[in-house]
Amino acid sequence: MSTIGYFVEQYVVLAGALFTLGCIGFLVRRNVLVQLMSIELMLNAVNLMLVAFNRQHSADLNGQVFAFFIIAVAAAEVAVGLAIVLAFYRLKSSVQSDEADQLRH
Amino acid sequence: MQAIEALFPANNYTLLAFIVLLPLLGAAVNGIFGKRLGKEAVSLLALSVMFVAFALAVVTFLALGHAQEGEEAARFVWKGWEWFRLTRADGSTSILDVAFSVDALNATMALVVTGVGFLIHLYSVSYMAEDPGFHRFLTYLNLFIFSMLVLILGDSLPVLFVGWEGVGLCSYLLIGFWFEDDKNAAAGKKAFVTNRIGDFGLLVAMGLLLYYTGGLDWSSIDSGAKNLLQPVQVWPLGSHVPAASLLPQGAEAWLNAPRYVSAATLVGLALFLGCAGKSAQLPLYVWLPDAMAGPTPVSALIHAATMVTAGVYLLCRLSFVMVLTPAAMAVVAVTGALTAMFAASIAFAQHDIKKVLAYSTVSQLGYMFLGVGVGAFSAGFFHVLTHAFFKACMFLGAGSVIHAMHARIHDTDASQDMRNMGGLRKYMPITFWTFTAAWAAIVGFPLTSGFFSKDEILLRAYTSFVKTPVATMPTPTGTEMVVFVWPTWLGAVLYAIGILTALMTAFYMTRLYLGTFFGEFKGWKIVKHWKEPAHEHGHDDHGHDHHHHDPNVQLEGPTPHESPWQMWVPLAVLGFLAAFAGWLNAPLFHIETMHHWLEPVFAKASGSVELIEGAEHLEYAFLGAAIAAFLGGSGIAYWIYVLQKGKPAQSFVEAVPGFHALVFDKWRVDELYEEYVIGAVDSLAEFFAWADKWIVDMLLARVSAFLVATTGTALRFLQTGRVQTYAAIMVLGLGGVGWFFVAPRAEAKLDANEESGVYSLTAAQGLGYSYRWDLNNDGKWDDKEKFGNRTQQSLNLAVKENRTVRLEVKNAFGRTAVRSFNFARPAPDRSGATSRLDADPTQARRVPDLGLLPKPQEMK
Amino acid sequence: MTVGNVFFVVASLVALFGALMTIASRSPIRSAVGLLITIVGIAALFLMLNAQFLAAIQLIVYAGAVVVLFVFVIMLLGPDAGDGEGTVVRARVARYGAGAFFLLLAAATAHLVSYAGLTPTRFKVAPPGHGSVEGIGTLLFNHMVIPFELATALLIVAVVGAIAVARGKPHVRRESKSASPTARMFHGPLMARDAQRPLPTKAERAAKAAGGV
Repeated sequence: MSTIGYFVEQYVVLAGALFTLGCIGFLVRRNVLVQLMSIELMLNAVNLMLVAFNRQHSADLNGQVFAFFIIAVAAAEVAVGLAIVLAFYRLKSSVQSDEADQLRH
Repeated sequence: MQAIEALFPANNYTLLAFIVLLPLLGAAVNGIFGKRLGKEAVSLLALSVMFVAFALAVVTFLALGHAQEGEEAARFVWKGWEWFRLTRADGSTSILDVAFSVDALNATMALVVTGVGFLIHLYSVSYMAEDPGFHRFLTYLNLFIFSMLVLILGDSLPVLFVGWEGVGLCSYLLIGFWFEDDKNAAAGKKAFVTNRIGDFGLLVAMGLLLYYTGGLDWSSIDSGAKNLLQPVQVWPLGSHVPAASLLPQGAEAWLNAPRYVSAATLVGLALFLGCAGKSAQLPLYVWLPDAMAGPTPVSALIHAATMVTAGVYLLCRLSFVMVLTPAAMAVVAVTGALTAMFAASIAFAQHDIKKVLAYSTVSQLGYMFLGVGVGAFSAGFFHVLTHAFFKACMFLGAGSVIHAMHARIHDTDASQDMRNMGGLRKYMPITFWTFTAAWAAIVGFPLTSGFFSKDEILLRAYTSFVKTPVATMPTPTGTEMVVFVWPTWLGAVLYAIGILTALMTAFYMTRLYLGTFFGEFKGWKIVKHWKEPAHEHGHDDHGHDHHHHDPNVQLEGPTPHESPWQMWVPLAVLGFLAAFAGWLNAPLFHIETMHHWLEPVFAKASGSVELIEGAEHLEYAFLGAAIAAFLGGSGIAYWIYVLQKGKPAQSFVEAVPGFHALVFDKWRVDELYEEYVIGAVDSLAEFFAWADKWIVDMLLARVSAFLVATTGTALRFLQTGRVQTYAAIMVLGLGGVGWFFVAPRAEAKLDANEESGVYSLTAAQGLGYSYRWDLNNDGKWDDKEKFGNRTQQSLNLAVKENRTVRLEVKNAFGRTAVRSFNFARPAPDRSGATSRLDADPTQARRVPDLGLLPKPQEMK
Repeated sequence: MTVGNVFFVVASLVALFGALMTIASRSPIRSAVGLLITIVGIAALFLMLNAQFLAAIQLIVYAGAVVVLFVFVIMLLGPDAGDGEGTVVRARVARYGAGAFFLLLAAATAHLVSYAGLTPTRFKVAPPGHGSVEGIGTLLFNHMVIPFELATALLIVAVVGAIAVARGKPHVRRESKSASPTARMFHGPLMARDAQRPLPTKAERAAKAAGGV
């Protein structure tokens, strides 16, 4: 019975759910590190969707290469982002995103 | 003479340019370099330009006389350059040049201006010798002469107006010469502002003349003057009076009935308004008495001889226009007469010698306008001439007296007060005799100049009137407008006022004359007010001591003494002229030189002026009446002030103190103006100040700023500085974008071709849209209610057919929207001359109003 | 009920569980572990989708580098890495409200999409070499070589940037008024006049802010 796991829509729904969870995590959590992790979640969800669609339209591997680049950029982004978190921690001695309101009116 | 005619032909008479520009040169050099040049150089330059200008004016006069051998009016013109040209809608142009011209009228006037001007310049050199602003004074005087010459020699109204404004400016500068004192500056301002009110009239007249006659120079106005004889609707402005419909029928009809005035009358009244301002007639005379705040030479030159006569000159120059409107001429004559009497009444009660002379000037100007108003242009102009001589002589004489008094009392008011004078004929003989000549002229002592000119005016006031040019004028509504006819009784009334005023003039001038030069000098006792001078004063070097002794001892302080030669020589010249210039035009003795000389200028106007019957026989009777007025007035004054030593006057003042105070306060006209006219402007200004404070500042500035600030404060809550907040707002925006994508839109564009009746609808496309049409609006969808991809439908409409089409749209999410379109094909337009086939094909495709404003049906 | 079905169900459940653990844990280290679990789940799903190379890369880069970085930082921060005390109620409501709204949006989208009337299409047979190293390598080094090089540059820049941002305090500048301009350019300060005035330290700044105002 090749139904579950062989339809692109299922992967899309799953990726959507993961993305939703990641977005909710970003909007709700106060901790900057958890927010960064939620961003990674969102990126992963997008990767999943890309690869799933590439499996459906499997003429070439553009989707997977796209996902590959996303992974690379996400890695770079995490590196810089964590460096920023460290600098922020040095300034405020806290990783609560509420403290990062220097641009407040 | 022939050499001059050869050098300066009549149509390019360059000497005019020299006459006008020399004083300007003097003013420029003195004004810019005066302080550095020193007094002698400044006075030499000013006097020499004046003298040369006078000499050239004499040359011009003689050349003109030579050219005017026959009856033809001779005219020399010099054109400077083209100033501007106006092109009207019908293609005609009016060209205006800066040009000067002389004919008999302004040649005479130029002689007076430059001649009297030169004498007064000479006088001022001595009078203003110690003033620190000496060079400034002579600069202004030269500038004034320049402006006056531009005024009288101008060939067109705008050039005249330049001069008109220039003399107004110089009058302001000279009246307020000692501007450190507020009173003087205020007097200068008053003169300028009052003049300006009159200038408005002159500008209106210029506009009317340009419109009706097509030009603004004298020859153009002359040729187009007949166009002025048409009626102008002055009431109601527009087609009807608004809110008149609230009145009952009869009143409304009466209110809305059009009233007409002839254009010539409007021009005449507007011109007279200008003259009333410049020449100090009722109601704009109020500046002239205040103008006495300026130095006495100024009063002599400007407010006696030249500037104030500019109004008379203007009316004489435009005589051919004025005679077209007997109504305006009657107004001029009546106003002149009333002004004469009114001013004379004020002069009765004044103590300041200059004020009496000022009111006397206003009064004599009234006489001039009386003469001009009844059509006796040359008589009025002759009075200008004689008045220039005797009034200037009197003012200069008064200046001489004040000069002497001022040496005793360094206070302006006290040195001019007649109550401090008296018996000055012992101390200042030359001044006395010249003043006597001038006095004789003004009161009408037989055979003096004033006698002849005033007598002629009085005679003509009774006998002369202006003929009506046309009996009726057709109005646009079809009725006939009746033109004003000179009332038969007007001559008698004017004469009565005139002779009464002559009596009054004789009285108050004799009062002045006796009070100043006869009796005991009353200025001894005032010497205790005299402040000890800290430096050598110019008048102190006459051998006396400064020590204060008992004030009752006489001969203390400087005795009044005669003035230096620069001051009494002009007095002598003017006195001589005042006494004997009358022989230029003595109709009594059949000498009519002046009249004959000016005849070509007034030839056109004289055609409309007539004398009543029996005028010839009245001459001797009126002569007798004039002599009686002179004898009566001066006799009464002699009786009161010399024989009775002023007691009747005293008792009169004590009997009616209120009335006397009223007359002394100049009938409180200034206060009336202050209260109502200036008060109205003040109220308006207060209203605008209120509006500025509460509407502009409060409502527009602060309230709007407050609204913006409040909005900013409200919006600032979104600016938390936290990324999470911004992400949340992004999510909200995402919701909105999603909403936009999810909701379908049913829109279609209509291409209407009204000629062929083919109407095509093109539906808008979108994500996953599918369409369903109902073309015949039967409530059921076409094509078996299936959604298809057909986006374009075409319909054929018959003429004037009305069709409704419905469209339903479904998007990828299964949501639908419906819209109905209603359009009609209009009937073809057959009223135009061009047939539809010739019309521009792009024009035919007009999109009619379909009512495509949203009326969306409910969304499923 | 083939292996594929079971594998898919298990992998998706693992991924979802990891996601929930990431966003809902109080302690950040638990969130990091949750992230790790999600990544492993997704790697499994990649395998299901014939993306072997990508699955390996996922595990190496994400699980082996990114999560490790997270753990490093959490360890560096120590106890400060966790959530602090309670916040203002209004802020909490706003947060949860935003989250709920997004959840609503997602649900609405899902609902709408379900009405689109799409027919689900099953995967066809994958062409041979789909997702293999050779396939991706061919693509990367032929068509996508420029993005590839740019990604390299990006990574280098990211490393430099991370180091620059995360560095400690700048070392105290020595008196360099005697130094040559070249030396000053390297060691700073650039302008000679600043050599007289060293930058205030953090303690000095704090003291100035507190007491000076």
